[in-house]
Amino acid sequence: MKGLFTGRIIRTQRLSPSSHLVVFERPRGFPDVAPGQFISLRITSTITPLLRRPFSIMDLTGTELHLLVKVVGKGSDILAHSQCGAEMDIAGPLGDTAFSSPGKKDAVFVAGGTGLAPMIFAARTWKRDGSLGRADLVYGAGCEEELLVSLCKEDFTAVHSATIDGSCGFEGDAVALLEKLVEEGKAGGGILYSCGPAGMVRAMERKAAAGFSRHLTSLEAVMACGVGACRGCTIPVKTDGGTALRTVCSDGTVFDASEIDWERWEE
Amino acid sequence: MNRRSLETEIGAVTLRNPVLLASGPAGYGLEYEGLVDLERIGGVVTKTISFEPREGNPGIRLHETGGGLLNSIGLENVGAEIFFSEKMPALVDAGIKPVVSLAAEDWEDYRMLIDATAGTDGVDIIELNLSCPNVERGGMAIGTNPELLAKYVRHAKDTLPDMTVLAKLTPNVGDIAVLALAAEEAGADGITAINTVVGMDIDLAAGRPVFKRIRAGLSGPAIMPIALDAVWRISRTVDIPVVGVGGITSVADAMKFFMAGAAAIQIGTAVFYDPALPEKIVEALEETGIPGPLGE
Repeated sequence: MKGLFTGRIIRTQRLSPSSHLVVFERPRGFPDVAPGQFISLRITSTITPLLRRPFSIMDLTGTELHLLVKVVGKGSDILAHSQCGAEMDIAGPLGDTAFSSPGKKDAVFVAGGTGLAPMIFAARTWKRDGSLGRADLVYGAGCEEELLVSLCKEDFTAVHSATIDGSCGFEGDAVALLEKLVEEGKAGGGILYSCGPAGMVRAMERKAAAGFSRHLTSLEAVMACGVGACRGCTIPVKTDGGTALRTVCSDGTVFDASEIDWERWEE
Repeated sequence: MNRRSLETEIGAVTLRNPVLLASGPAGYGLEYEGLVDLERIGGVVTKTISFEPREGNPGIRLHETGGGLLNSIGLENVGAEIFFSEKMPALVDAGIKPVVSLAAEDWEDYRMLIDATAGTDGVDIIELNLSCPNVERGGMAIGTNPELLAKYVRHAKDTLPDMTVLAKLTPNVGDIAVLALAAEEAGADGITAINTVVGMDIDLAAGRPVFKRIRAGLSGPAIMPIALDAVWRISRTVDIPVVGVGGITSVADAMKFFMAGAAAIQIGTAVFYDPALPEKIVEALEETGIPGPLGE
């Protein structure tokens, strides 16, 4: 059951020029969460920024709640540079759907940007409960210094990196690298997990998902309420009779990518 | 300490207190279970329904501005049948007072919606959304025209004589008091003011307006003084109660609305960032009582 909590920042760490690890003390009574669920943070007590900001959970232990924060605007900038001891209002856990476990089958995780956070949480959760088999991470960033491989290399069997400028690993984006791995027979057959911008997930579904038994994705969206009330973050999902709108915040964040009506979403 | 009674009468209805969640942000109410203490508030003005389900607007629907939020949801809703058979009973079962918000999309849909409402037990207060800026037909086009507005209000009162009817007005007019007077003369039991303020924004990187429909509805603290002024003006023009809504962000804002003449208030956009605000306002009112309206 979701609730309102007060979280206290106990540690922050700059991971790259744009990305930061922000660790909160786990609030008393904060429920266990499943990979793909998220929280929303009220970053300031002022009206700037106005809305809460949603963040995927990167890890939740008995004592700590970890977030991966990429500075993209005012809210993330304030959060990333918060002092230890700062308190923020946390709503969560939010999201009614979560990633289902691979049940020891091969799993390939594809992440773009802060989409890395739920991929790490999924791998850690399933390693802890014994349901993680072979786990490959395919991960892309703009350049070498934005790659956060050291953050997560222990969590996966192998990490395959791509950079747009070619400064490290494969030159290109994560989707192109995934395609190459599938072509070479180095990935495929098991379950594909993804999180990143809609364009990335759409390209994966079109170009690479056929090589896997399922493609589950945790979507990103601009949100206001975070609980399915305001209908601000809807996406078209295929139904028996056509399509229906579903909210990323409460009907998701996790969807079977084959059930999303990508053509209508592009309109 | 003695807690003051906050019971508030609007038309024939007594609310346990005058703090409501506003239509739109409130959804169908129960989405906020665990975040908003729904049992502490006076009621939930549910998401506006049309007779037929509506899918709402395509593309981007939300955009944050300085101290505000532009939305172009477009009245997405489940329609009357599902609302009255599923959404509203769930709210009532949870002990929460529903104020049912009805769209005035076009005359036919509206008439069927009023008939469906008449055939449903347990509804004793409705809010006519005569002022949504985000739809092609109806909405604000009705709410900016005193004769049309009166026609819609009168039809609701003629069909549902025992129903408490609130008319929700748009601020996007020359003088909102003229519309309030038209609604009162047509039989409205109360006025809700205000709906969102029309606005737009431009996506600089893309070189085009943010929203497909270009214009959208602005809510949040940026519009609070506009709402407060509307409540002040309307409460000095009509004799029926005024329900104040628009940018209430704090306990202090809430107090100002009562001082301007509101009999009750609604919290909309603020629940997005502070779900505990409605409860904080109720607690403050229990301690101090509801402030009386200021004199002229």
